[in-house]
Amino acid sequence: MDSTTAMYIAQSLNGLAYGMLLFLVASGLTLIFGMMGILNIAHASFFMLSAYFCHTFLDMTGSFLLALLVAPLIAAFFGVLCERFLLRKVHAFGHIGELLITVGISLVILEGVKFFWGTEPYLVAVPEMLNGFVPIVDLHYPVYRIFVIGLALLILVLMAAILFKTRLGMVVRAAVSDADMVNALGVNVPIVFMLVFGIGTWLAGVAGVIITPILTVFPGMADQVGLDAFVVVVTGGFGSLLGAFIVALFLGELNAFGIQFIPKLAPVLMFAFMAIVLAFKPMGLFGERE
Amino acid sequence: MNIMETKGLYHDFKGLKVLFDVNLEIKEGERHAIIGPNGAGKTTLFNVITGTYEPSKGHIFFKEREITGFKPHQLTRMGMGRSFQITSTFTRLTAFQNIRMGVLSKRGIRFNLFQLLDGMNEVTEETDQILKRINLYGERDVPASALSYGKSRSLEISMALATDPDLVMLDEPTAGMSVDETRTAVKLIRKLTEGKTMVIIEHDMDVVFSLADRITVLHLGAILASGAPDEIKDNQAVKDAYLGELEV
Amino acid sequence: MKQNLLNWIFLAAIVIIAAFIPMIFGIYYSNVIVLFSIFALYAVSYNLLLGYTGLLSFGHAMFFGGGAYATALALTHIPGFPLLLALLTGGLAAVFLALIVSPLLVRVSGTAFAMLTLAFGQLLYVICLKYREVTGGEDGVGGFPIPSLNIPGIVSIEMTDPLKYYYFALIVVLLSLFIMWFFTKTPFGQIVVSIRDNANRVDYLGFKVPHSKAIVFIVSGFFAGIAGALYAMLQDLVSTDGALTVYMSFFPIMMAFIGGIGSYFGPIYGAAILTIIDEVAAAYTEHFELVTGIIFILVVLFAPLGFAGFLNFVKIKWSARSSHQGTAEEVS
Repeated sequence: MDSTTAMYIAQSLNGLAYGMLLFLVASGLTLIFGMMGILNIAHASFFMLSAYFCHTFLDMTGSFLLALLVAPLIAAFFGVLCERFLLRKVHAFGHIGELLITVGISLVILEGVKFFWGTEPYLVAVPEMLNGFVPIVDLHYPVYRIFVIGLALLILVLMAAILFKTRLGMVVRAAVSDADMVNALGVNVPIVFMLVFGIGTWLAGVAGVIITPILTVFPGMADQVGLDAFVVVVTGGFGSLLGAFIVALFLGELNAFGIQFIPKLAPVLMFAFMAIVLAFKPMGLFGERE
Repeated sequence: MNIMETKGLYHDFKGLKVLFDVNLEIKEGERHAIIGPNGAGKTTLFNVITGTYEPSKGHIFFKEREITGFKPHQLTRMGMGRSFQITSTFTRLTAFQNIRMGVLSKRGIRFNLFQLLDGMNEVTEETDQILKRINLYGERDVPASALSYGKSRSLEISMALATDPDLVMLDEPTAGMSVDETRTAVKLIRKLTEGKTMVIIEHDMDVVFSLADRITVLHLGAILASGAPDEIKDNQAVKDAYLGELEV
Repeated sequence: MKQNLLNWIFLAAIVIIAAFIPMIFGIYYSNVIVLFSIFALYAVSYNLLLGYTGLLSFGHAMFFGGGAYATALALTHIPGFPLLLALLTGGLAAVFLALIVSPLLVRVSGTAFAMLTLAFGQLLYVICLKYREVTGGEDGVGGFPIPSLNIPGIVSIEMTDPLKYYYFALIVVLLSLFIMWFFTKTPFGQIVVSIRDNANRVDYLGFKVPHSKAIVFIVSGFFAGIAGALYAMLQDLVSTDGALTVYMSFFPIMMAFIGGIGSYFGPIYGAAILTIIDEVAAAYTEHFELVTGIIFILVVLFAPLGFAGFLNFVKIKWSARSSHQGTAEEVS
C-alpha cells in the first residue's frame, strides 16, 4: 500500500482511538446530565485526577495494570464524595447553583493537583506488554492504540449489557430519564444517584489512565479533553448515549484529520460543528430534555 | 367583524393529535367561553392562537389579518393579551413593578437606555392607577411571590390586560379560588374587560354562565358544539360528553 | 432607594480614601488597588449577565481577553495611537465579538448557553494560541508603548508613571461603574431583570426577548473589554494564559457570587474580598486559587446570597422595620 493510504488508515485509527476515549468520558457525563439535569463541569477534572493517581501508582508499583484498576476507583470515590456532600446540598438552589459548585470543584481539583504534584508534566511509558507495532497490511500501527480502542469497546459493550439487560440497568435508565417518577415508585433514588455518579466518574477515570501514555500527565489535561467531552454531550444530546457515541467518534476523526490537514483551523471546525447543530437543534442531535 | 378566527386548525405533538379541525369564530366585543373536559386541548388552543406554538396545519386570523406563526410579542403589539393557568408573573419583582412592565410595553417604552425609570412619573401614576383598580394598591411593594393566591391571580389577570389589548384571552383565571374569591374575580374581570373582546377557558360553570355571551365546547381536540349558553345547556352531545356537569 | 444612597456614600468615602492611598501606602499597594478596580469592573460587567439577566456565561474572558489583545495589538502596531482610543479599542473589540456570538447565544438558554459560552471562550483562546504571527502565541504581546493622556493645548500626563496610571484607571473604572449602574435603572434595565424572572412573560408583554438579550450582551461585553484594555496597559503584556483561560472566565463568576449577585455592588465586594485573600494568601502559599476555589464552594453551599446578602441580613436584623423593605436592596 502506498504511504498516502497508510497515512489515512493510521489517522482513522488515531481518530477512532481518541473518539473512543472521548466517548468514555462523555458517556459518564451524559448519564449524569440525564439524571441530574446539570452538566458536571468538574467531570473532566476527575479524569485528570485519575491520570495523576495512575502516575503515582506507576511510580510506586511499576504496574500499569494495577494503576488501571485502582486509579479510576479512587477518582470515582472522590466523585461520589462530591456528589454526596456537595452537589446534593445545592440541589434545592436549582441548576445555576449546581453548575456553580461544579465550577468550584473543578477549580479546587485543578489547583489541588498543582499543589500536590506540581505543574511539570509527567511522562508515562507505554506498558511493556502493549509496546510495539502491529502490522495492518503494510502499515505498522502502535499496539497500544489498538488496545485503547479494544478496551473502550469492551467497556462500552459491558455498559450496554448492564444498562439494557439487567434490572439495575433498567432502574438506572428510568432514573436518568425521570428521577422524580422513579422516586415516586419507591426506588431509593439517592443511592441510584450515587451509583450513576460513581460509575460515570469511573469511566472518566479509566479514560484518564489509558490516555496517559499518549497525552502525558499535566494540569491542562482537564481543560483540553473536558471541552471536547462537553461538546460531545451538548451536540450529541443531553442524556443520549447513542448521540454521545456518534458525535465522539465523529469528533475523534475530525480532530485527527483536522490536525493533519488544517492544523490552524482544526479547533474552529469543532466549534463550528457544535454551533451549527445547536442552531438547528438546541437540545442536541438526539437530545430530548433541556 | 370577527376579531379572531381559526380555520381548519390542527396541532399535534410528536404524532399525538391534540387539535382537530378547529374552526372558531370570535365576534368583536363578545364574551366567549371555551369549556370542555380535561385534556380536551383548550390550553393548547390558546397556546397556538397566542403564538407559543405554530399550528401543524391551518390558519389563524386576528383583526382580519393572517397571524399564523406569529410570535407572542408580535401578537401582543397587535392587541392581544393572555393570562396563564399557572400564574406567570415576575416573582422577584413587586406588584408595582409587575404592572409597570405592562405599562411600559403599552407606551412603547422598550429600548430606552437613557432615562431613569423611577423618575418617569407618568408611568408611575398610570401603574398606581391600575393597582388601585384591581385592589392591589395595598400590596404595591410586595414581591409577587409573597402575594396570597387570590391576589396573585388578580395580578396575573391584570398583566394580561396591562397592555390594553382589544382581545383578552384568560386561561382558567379562577383556578383554585374559593367561592368568595371567585365572585370577586368575576366582578373584576367583567369590569376590566368592558369594551373589549374576551375569550375565557373555564371549568367553573357558574363563572361561565354569568360571564359568557357564547360558549364553545371542546372535546378530544375538536369542537363539539358552539352557540348561546341556553343552546349549549340543552345540547345532548354536550351533556353526554360532560356527563351532566352542566347542571347549573 | 435609601439603601442605594447609603451605598453611594460608602463608595464616595472609599473613593476619597483611595485618592490618598498611593501617598500613604506606596506604589505596590496602589497597583493592587488598580488591579482590584479592574477586576471589580470585570465582575460588575459579568453580573449584568448573571445577576440581572439570569444568564450563566462561562466565556466572559473572551471579552476581557479580546479587549486586552485588541488594545495591545493596536498599541504595538500603530505608532502614536492615543490613550483614550486604545481604551476604546478594547471595548469595541469586545462589542465586535459580542455581535458575532449573540445571534446564536440569544436563542439558547440554561446549560446549552453555558456550554456555548465556554466553547466560544475556548475558541478564542485556541485561536490566539495558534496564530502566533499575530498574537505571539503563548508569549503574547508585550512591551508596547503606553501612550500619555494628551489633551491638546492643556496637559500631557505620562501614563508610564504608576501614580498617574492609578488615577487614570480609577477614574475610568468609576465612570464605567456609574454608566452600568445607570443602565440598570433605565426602563431597559427593568426589562432585563424581568427576563431573568420570567422570559416567557416578557415575550407575552410585547418585548423582543432575543434582541434585549443581545443588547445586554453588548453592554456587558463592552465594559469587560474596557477592563481588559486597562489590564493590558497596566501589565504592558497580554498573553493567552493571562487573559483568556477558562479560569479567567470563572474568576468573575466567583467574584460576583462571593460578593453577592443579587446586588449591583455585590461583585465589587467580591473583587475586594478576593483581592484581600490573594494578598494575604500570597504570604503563605503560591496556590491562592486553591483557597479561592474552596471559599467559592463554601459560599455556594452556605451563603449563596454572598457578602451583599450577608450585609442585607445584618441590616434587617438591626433595623426595626418590617422585612418587606429588605427586597428594596435586591436587584430590581
